[in-house]
Amino acid sequence: MLGILDHRDVALRAVSAACKLVTRKPQGPAWNEFRMQVVSAVGEAFNNIVLHGYEGRGDGIIEMEIRTRPERISIEMRDYGSSFDPTTVPPPDFDSLPESGLGLFIIRSFMNISYAPGKPNVLTLTKTLDPQLAETSAADPSEGAP
Amino acid sequence: MTFSISTTEDGLTRLAIEGELDAVSVSDLRGDLEKLLARQPSRVDIDLSRLRMVDSSGVGALVSLYKRVRAQGGSVVVSGLRDQPLAIFRLLRLDRVMVGAELATPAAPTKTTTTSNN
Repeated sequence: MLGILDHRDVALRAVSAACKLVTRKPQGPAWNEFRMQVVSAVGEAFNNIVLHGYEGRGDGIIEMEIRTRPERISIEMRDYGSSFDPTTVPPPDFDSLPESGLGLFIIRSFMNISYAPGKPNVLTLTKTLDPQLAETSAADPSEGAP
Repeated sequence: MTFSISTTEDGLTRLAIEGELDAVSVSDLRGDLEKLLARQPSRVDIDLSRLRMVDSSGVGALVSLYKRVRAQGGSVVVSGLRDQPLAIFRLLRLDRVMVGAELATPAAPTKTTTTSNN
């Protein structure tokens, strides 16, 4: 199981790099938040595929296709494990301080999501960067990217 | 991910976590958290000021620690959250439950365990 998870870091680095392609000025708080949310959501999706879709297995394939265009990123994740539709899961009961089930909530809070079960299962995550907010944010000299 | 656990004579335990706490690295922390819980600390301060990234697995481990210490009659306070970890804690509404004021300068530890997984 961890063998597959060990590849997550590579996948997230690619996603983080792709976030730079969605705007002419990949900097400032709006873009930083955009990238943080995309990387966080894809990391959770990767976890779910490994821990649930490929549960009990030491191997498994996750195919990722990252598409960018101005102000928009789309990540398609294909796996051949058990199907699990994340769009049908209710939100956690936060009053009970849940220790699990939080990943799906993070994904759905940060990105738009669609899911098609099958062989492969296809999970598509998309997110749009507000161009005006990004331009204004990137132009603020007091709020540079790290 | 790197972490350190220190304890003082008066029962204060300080847990500091650096780097990335996620589904991969959290397993390195669990054993030491069990040892920490076995000592039934009266208070655990969790310093996350050097935590760069956390995922739901990492959050789950911290929530579990919080609930178990509280069940033993102790208290847990998280401090130092910023950037991505702060956003995740806010999203999951944990900032209202677990996050306290900034850590005061900790007392000198009597025992320290440091583990690195870089």
